[in-house]
Amino acid sequence: MSQIAVSVRQVSHFFDERSALNELSFSLPSGQLMALLGHNGAGKSTLIKMILGLLRPTSGEVNVFGRAVTTSGAMTEIGYLPENISFYDKLTGHEVLSYFAALKGISKQTVNRLLEEFGLAYAQHKSVKDYSKGMKQRLGFAQAILARPRLLLLDEPTVGLDPQASQFIYHKIKQLVTQGSTVIVCTHELQLVESQLDLALILGRGRRLAFGTLDELLHSGNMNLRVEHPRLDSLVVTHPLLKSFYADGGLNCPVSQREVLMKYLILECQLYDVKVSTPDLAQVYHAKMAQMQVLNELGLSLTPGDI
Amino acid sequence: MLTIAKRPSLGLIWVIANKELKDSLRNRWVLVVFAIFWVLALSMTFAGSAVSGTLALPSLSSVIASLTTVSVFIIPLAAILLSHDAFVGEEEAGTLCLLLTYPVSKSQILVGKLLAHCTVTFTAITSSYGSSAAILMLFGRGEAWEEILSAFGLLIASSCLLATIFILISYLVSLKSAEKARAVGSLLGLWFALVLIYDLLLLALLVADLGYGSQWLVNLLILLNPTDLYRAINLVSAGAPLGSLGLLAQYEWSLPLLLGACVAWPLLLLFWTRRVFITKLV
Repeated sequence: MSQIAVSVRQVSHFFDERSALNELSFSLPSGQLMALLGHNGAGKSTLIKMILGLLRPTSGEVNVFGRAVTTSGAMTEIGYLPENISFYDKLTGHEVLSYFAALKGISKQTVNRLLEEFGLAYAQHKSVKDYSKGMKQRLGFAQAILARPRLLLLDEPTVGLDPQASQFIYHKIKQLVTQGSTVIVCTHELQLVESQLDLALILGRGRRLAFGTLDELLHSGNMNLRVEHPRLDSLVVTHPLLKSFYADGGLNCPVSQREVLMKYLILECQLYDVKVSTPDLAQVYHAKMAQMQVLNELGLSLTPGDI
Repeated sequence: MLTIAKRPSLGLIWVIANKELKDSLRNRWVLVVFAIFWVLALSMTFAGSAVSGTLALPSLSSVIASLTTVSVFIIPLAAILLSHDAFVGEEEAGTLCLLLTYPVSKSQILVGKLLAHCTVTFTAITSSYGSSAAILMLFGRGEAWEEILSAFGLLIASSCLLATIFILISYLVSLKSAEKARAVGSLLGLWFALVLIYDLLLLALLVADLGYGSQWLVNLLILLNPTDLYRAINLVSAGAPLGSLGLLAQYEWSLPLLLGACVAWPLLLLFWTRRVFITKLV
């Protein structure tokens, strides 16, 4: 049985009267990559700060590797990359990384190895203010993994980066997950994270809108897949069962009924080469946001748990 | 997981202080501060007597009085320049939040920063005023070395305390401010109020009423403003004219009491700053 890396139970947090998180619960097994998604102000940063021990929940409990998180933070087994970090402008890249390494008692050799690994060795004696956005982000990432953390929290690790730099960051994330680290990535770049994630948590106005694997999200969200084939027009006439799914020259079928539909198309209609378009994470996300919007417009409050 | 060597508390403070020191030494304001102190000290020593029509080195009390009068403006300003962004700057850069996820406490961060900023200002003060003392000892009017050392020792010690007080005031404002620009604005306003306006109000109070109650109040108000306290310590000890601080002499506020108040200020501010930092949400 895999160990639980992060356990959040019935966590609520209020800033004065405003609710930032509301009765949030989820468990993240270790060695998995979880995408933390949500609109601006959904509570993602608040959640990250709670996991880091920088904020204490108004109610509920946050545990990291089975231990309650204290507000002092300072857990050597957690690595963190904040959003839009700019570091200390007057120091060099080597000095910045050495500083953070010294605070964790990590050797200079590790600093040199990481600078090499992240392609920053050539610029290590340059002032950080002369670094490009991509270089700063790589430096930040190297800082986050200094102690080979068991849990890594990355807040928008690829924002503002070119596609190549983003690929590099996600390649490194994948390597870390393969090596056993648990990673939480807070991002708006859904396409980039989709191919990597094991789990996704979607937050809306401080509440959990959805949590699970991509498959689970597709099933729970009543998302439709689309099946297309040139012969479908004629098949609908001879196979009335398909009529209920038919629209605009294709079949729109709930993801949960995929197997049944595919069997039917193969066995009953002898269709083997259909084109199937499965909804992606972005569609799930937008569907969840739309559902939340509708509930809000109807004046119905969101109940804890998935919608 | 890597094997991580656990650092002792003092080691972490040193790591922070060392980084802050590096950061400060590459700050152009530090060069400005050093230059100001040296120009100030040397000009007061060499040209202090020019106003009286002579070119000889002035007397010890006159140098101390001149340096005190100018330092009360310069030291707070230098401390503000160096430390106004100690916390708000890190917050804007995103490094404060990151630093707090490391195994280092808020108290260690505070002490580390204070150590570095004090080292820079103390070095500027000691080297510049120390050179003034050396010039007076070598080429002065023949005052005893012990007398010069004692007067300058007190001037340097009180200047360092004044710098520490304003570094801590800067930290407090920096912790309470949302932007660097606001921190600078607030601190300059505070500097103006404490160094100029406060003294003018004190003078007005003196002129308005010289009754016993008013004099007691003035003495108390002097203790409540670190810049007046600094002035009082150095002018009382140098036997120089006290101006608006004349009542101090009348009521014989002893030097140890003034020094005690000057030491109490940074301690209280350190306690307060730590409290604000600990309760601050990042």
